[in-house]
Amino acid sequence: MDLINYLFLGFSVAFQPMNLFYCFLGVLIGTLVGVLPGLGPVAAMSLLLPATFHTTPVASIIMMAGIYYGAMYGGSTTSILVNIPGEAASVMTCLDGYQMARKGRAGPALGISAFGSFIAGTIGIIGMMLISPPLVNFALKFGPPEYFSLMILGLMILTFLTSASMVRALMMAAFGLIVGCIGLDNISGLARFAFNIPELLDGVGLVPVVMGLFGISEVMLNIELKIKREVFTSEVKGLLPTLGDWGKSIWSIIRGTVIGFFLGILPGGGAVIASFVSYAIEKRVSQHPEEFGQGAIEGVAAPEAANNAAAQGAFIPLLTLGIPSNVVMAMLLGALIIHGVTPGPLLLADHPQLFWGVVASMYVGNAMLLALNLPLIGIWVQLLRVPYSILFPLIILFCLIGSYSINNSSMDVLIMLVFGVIGYLMKKLSLEAAPMVLAFVLGPMLETALRQSLIKSKGSFSIFFTRPISAVCLILAIALLIMPMLPWFHRPGAALEHEDVT
Amino acid sequence: MKRTYLISDLVWIGFAAIVCWGGLKLGFGTFHQPLAGFMPFLSGLILGLLALVDLVSGAITHWKGEKADNEIWANIHWGKLLLTLALLFIYTAFFNTLGFIIATILLLLFLYRVMEPRPWWMVVIASVVTTGLFYLGFKVGLDSQLPGGFLGF
Repeated sequence: MDLINYLFLGFSVAFQPMNLFYCFLGVLIGTLVGVLPGLGPVAAMSLLLPATFHTTPVASIIMMAGIYYGAMYGGSTTSILVNIPGEAASVMTCLDGYQMARKGRAGPALGISAFGSFIAGTIGIIGMMLISPPLVNFALKFGPPEYFSLMILGLMILTFLTSASMVRALMMAAFGLIVGCIGLDNISGLARFAFNIPELLDGVGLVPVVMGLFGISEVMLNIELKIKREVFTSEVKGLLPTLGDWGKSIWSIIRGTVIGFFLGILPGGGAVIASFVSYAIEKRVSQHPEEFGQGAIEGVAAPEAANNAAAQGAFIPLLTLGIPSNVVMAMLLGALIIHGVTPGPLLLADHPQLFWGVVASMYVGNAMLLALNLPLIGIWVQLLRVPYSILFPLIILFCLIGSYSINNSSMDVLIMLVFGVIGYLMKKLSLEAAPMVLAFVLGPMLETALRQSLIKSKGSFSIFFTRPISAVCLILAIALLIMPMLPWFHRPGAALEHEDVT
Repeated sequence: MKRTYLISDLVWIGFAAIVCWGGLKLGFGTFHQPLAGFMPFLSGLILGLLALVDLVSGAITHWKGEKADNEIWANIHWGKLLLTLALLFIYTAFFNTLGFIIATILLLLFLYRVMEPRPWWMVVIASVVTTGLFYLGFKVGLDSQLPGGFLGF
């Protein structure tokens, strides 16, 4: 009964004209950045964060959330029509989506992608509604050792799943922790690695780092490559999938939703991993795996459902534990803190209108996205025709303004450019940026939790193993570390490396 | 030859050593009472050890399965890439002095011509219009604080 009352409260918040407007703006911008290669949801959220300072926290988070799940919808369009993923979570959609387009079935591919996303998104929201309240009670038992172990587990899951080389992914996580150390020490107030630069005393900002690693580095890669775009515009017709298509796809959508939702909840999981894993599983359970990569509609439905369900699931650890499970959630954490809201177990009790307002807005946003993605497909296709030589100065300009306007500081722009170069080199050397960014975000929290735990235990590391929740998390983390060393074990990340993505 | 990975690991080891040294200078403390250098030292140590593991395993397997050097660095338009980067660093240096409008018009004049040669009149119009739209959108619309420079707006 409480759940229904809270949902009504949520809808009363979500249907306020201002919140409806921000929800629409969020999903529209999200779809746009999802469609445009080179500008992902993280960059868009970084860019628009300062613009939300004047709004209410609810409107701000509704818009930010809309950008995230909107990008999941929009990303599929570019994957299917151009074979270039609009954002990372749509990489797997390229494999069969583009082949479907080449065979004149771009319409059903776009259609099943939109409907699959809608179904998965909606189920994901219901799951979020049902799981979050009990998880909050559980989270109240967490102390510094539990937080530390959970964050270690999150980092381990991410490194385990994302990269072919786990050693290199862990290296990047360690690098992220080092970057997170820059600035004043949380406990003693001593300046660390600030080199007498006043702007560095507050630490390196998340926005410049993310825009550099994901925005500028992507532009640099695109400048060096001659991307040949072949847009299948004339063949986009018949967006509604046939009964046969539905028959083939429905179980893929359901499997993708379940996989995506639970991978989204896991700290370190997220939409990208969810889409990779769901594609791999779909191929494995299929009776005709040879059709995958040749235009199998299940290969579009499953990853699209998974990335949308994961986008909803990822909100759970942030809103209930205060721990961002991926880079986008880290941006949302920043937005909440700027608005004076501390995410964590008390959020539901202290700000029910925010939590339930955001949940309800996701229902509204999903419906808006279905309306945006199918009838407006022609407009998105036109956008894809904009040559990269015109697009890339605009992306650079967005990044420059976005990183400058957070603190009105040229130092942030400089930091963004430096991380752009670092990100470019990392991509060249197959070093993943995601573990680095997550470790960078979690670093200060992780350090505080570690030091508080050690002070509490008088220097004994046994505190992490004598408390049950912490012990379980650490044992799982250790298992993930050891498993790749076993000769018979193949990590999912390593297997996915061999998939022909482009 | 896969010298790129070798150099990369050596750079990471060197970087990790510097961080560890910095951590020790800040003060490691004890496990009972960890100080400000505790986390940097531990992170640096982990990074260094992992880079060493990567280096040794790579050397043993001759970096089997990794891209060759010429595959990593081939077909790069170094001129365009370095020019774009240089322009961005120069833009950052003069952003506050020149102000958003002038600095951005100048930056776009070059960026629009980096990828493909276009007539200058077209580039000038595109740069001015783009800058104007961004100014209206961010400064007027979103109230972003963009530097006025010597022109003062």
